[in-house]
Amino acid sequence: MFSAIYFESAVREHPRTHAILERHRDLPRIECERYGEIFNRKSRNFRLQKENPALILARKHGRKVLPAPGGYGFEAAGSHYFSHMLNCIYDCRYCFLQGMYRSAHCVLFVNYEDFAAAVEQTLADTTLPGEAAPGAGQVFYSGYDCDSLAFEPLSGFAEYFVPWFAARPRAVLELRTKSTQIGGLLKRDPISNCIVAMSFTTPAAAARWEHGVPAIEKRLAALGRLQDAGWPVAIRFEPLMPDTNPDACGELFELVFSRLDSRRLHSVSTGLFRMPADYFRNILKLYPDEALFARETRTRNGVVALQHPDEASWLKQIETALFRHIDPANYYRCADENPDCEN
Amino acid sequence: MSSNHLSFCAQRSAVAESPGEWRAPSRHRHAPPGETPASDFSGWKKEATVNLVVAHRLEAERLIAWFGLGEMLPRGEFPCFGDEEGLSLVVTGSGAERAAAGVRYLQERRPGCAWLNIGVAGHGNAAVGTGLLIHRIEDRSTGKRHWPSPTGLKLPGGNLITVSEAETGYAEDAAYDMEAAGFFAAASRLVAPDLVFVYKIVSDNPEHPLADFRRGRVSSLIGARKSEIHTLVGYLRERSARFARWRSLPAEYRELLGKYHFSATRKAALAKLCRRFLALDMERRLAVLASKRYHNAGALMAALEAELAGAMMSGEADSNEPAT
Repeated sequence: MFSAIYFESAVREHPRTHAILERHRDLPRIECERYGEIFNRKSRNFRLQKENPALILARKHGRKVLPAPGGYGFEAAGSHYFSHMLNCIYDCRYCFLQGMYRSAHCVLFVNYEDFAAAVEQTLADTTLPGEAAPGAGQVFYSGYDCDSLAFEPLSGFAEYFVPWFAARPRAVLELRTKSTQIGGLLKRDPISNCIVAMSFTTPAAAARWEHGVPAIEKRLAALGRLQDAGWPVAIRFEPLMPDTNPDACGELFELVFSRLDSRRLHSVSTGLFRMPADYFRNILKLYPDEALFARETRTRNGVVALQHPDEASWLKQIETALFRHIDPANYYRCADENPDCEN
Repeated sequence: MSSNHLSFCAQRSAVAESPGEWRAPSRHRHAPPGETPASDFSGWKKEATVNLVVAHRLEAERLIAWFGLGEMLPRGEFPCFGDEEGLSLVVTGSGAERAAAGVRYLQERRPGCAWLNIGVAGHGNAAVGTGLLIHRIEDRSTGKRHWPSPTGLKLPGGNLITVSEAETGYAEDAAYDMEAAGFFAAASRLVAPDLVFVYKIVSDNPEHPLADFRRGRVSSLIGARKSEIHTLVGYLRERSARFARWRSLPAEYRELLGKYHFSATRKAALAKLCRRFLALDMERRLAVLASKRYHNAGALMAALEAELAGAMMSGEADSNEPAT
């Protein structure tokens, strides 16, 4: 998975650093002062690095919880995100991270306790006077700059944060993932305020654009087990590519909802392929040979989208097919102003 | 330890020149009649290129022999060697500045896609003969650090400190040389740093100090790491070839540049359009359009753009699903 492990001097003695280094004794270990010495440096090439990514263990400084972009998730009193990791071990060609960072290395911030303190502070700041429990309706997304669960066996991220959120039942944690690393979740009792949201594209799109991602069947099996165990699960059908045939979407919906109980789903969403124009320009330089980025695009308000000759009608067909399986009240469309959903 | 400290002098010549003749190694010199003689640059692969940088001639000898490199003629400021497969080598002389100058010089003669500095070095801890793929380079004189990317090759790795004077204290658990920092900084300005690497072979350490080192051992030290060096060069050749492939342009691009007048901006735009045709598996459409006659470059570009837009809208171009 990784070709080397860098670690900041400041986290050399951190227990999570020790545990990870111990599990990867065969990898080169390289000490640095700050992860920024290696990560995201000028002139680095994401595509080249993605062939041999390294893991960087670091301490997160500065703001740790940020407001989620408008339209990122489901309706809530307040939406926030925090990133214990930067980058993803998967290689989805449509992912905006390729254009956001110049590095494909994964940064893991090991100071979870500081993230928890920042979430606690956010809850306190958003608690209304007279409220009994803090953070009512506040949602915290953990899979914005990474996959929440893909690295779980090493990171122990959910192992730390799920019990933490269990003790704060009015705040919600969304683990957004394409991973089947659910063993840790299944070992504990489910909690109603932790949602496991999994992304899906059609089988053709998955085969073509999602490299290293578990097969749809395996993801569905994992979600099914979580649902059977009582965990709230959610489905994210994104990104929808303009050349996606609504019939192919219909077949995907048939498959997904034959494996999951749609009445017990937390929510279902769709989102179009889109990303900030500067990220798209960066990706185009990295992948000039990639058909996905050679297509006709339109740019609106600094956001690039692939063109569809009749987008409204096409989306309506897809949503009509979807509503054969789910209650529209459980559905939302990831808003256009948020270009960073397809992660 | 450090080769760097060995005062070998790179051969120099007063003659400065641009790419020219290439003196083939002996195995190429007697090409049978009718075969293309390997004595000029006409055949070398200009895109998938790997450039090797060594400080001293003794460090170069094995590499020249292993890879069948011939000397580039006319000689210039730095001795250069190459083959027709895109592998080149420059002998720079000692010191970070000379290494950087050698990189720039070789780039002028044969631009490199990937760069590798090979040489001997001292070490505070490692045994003589150990080969190290360098992960971190510290320039002792400036404190600046460089970070070659990991390769995944499973070669032993380590840190390196580039010093300006011979290191005899071996204070740290690191290799010591006199070139790598200058080499890495210069090469990283020419290509993505992810394609710049340093490989060092330990020549001296506290138990076998530099004072006892005989320069005649350089060749055998390098020779003992033949397998690792071949692995590295092969890796770089493969990577640079892939990198070049990502950015390749169809033959029509050159053809069209010859037919019409393009400003620098339009030339770049034409390259983008041609790459889009390639990426969308529309090479044949491009060939057909390129064979037609247009009033000027602008009209040609408009036709190419219209073709792409039409194909996308009709769903004829590359698609991941059957068209609706």
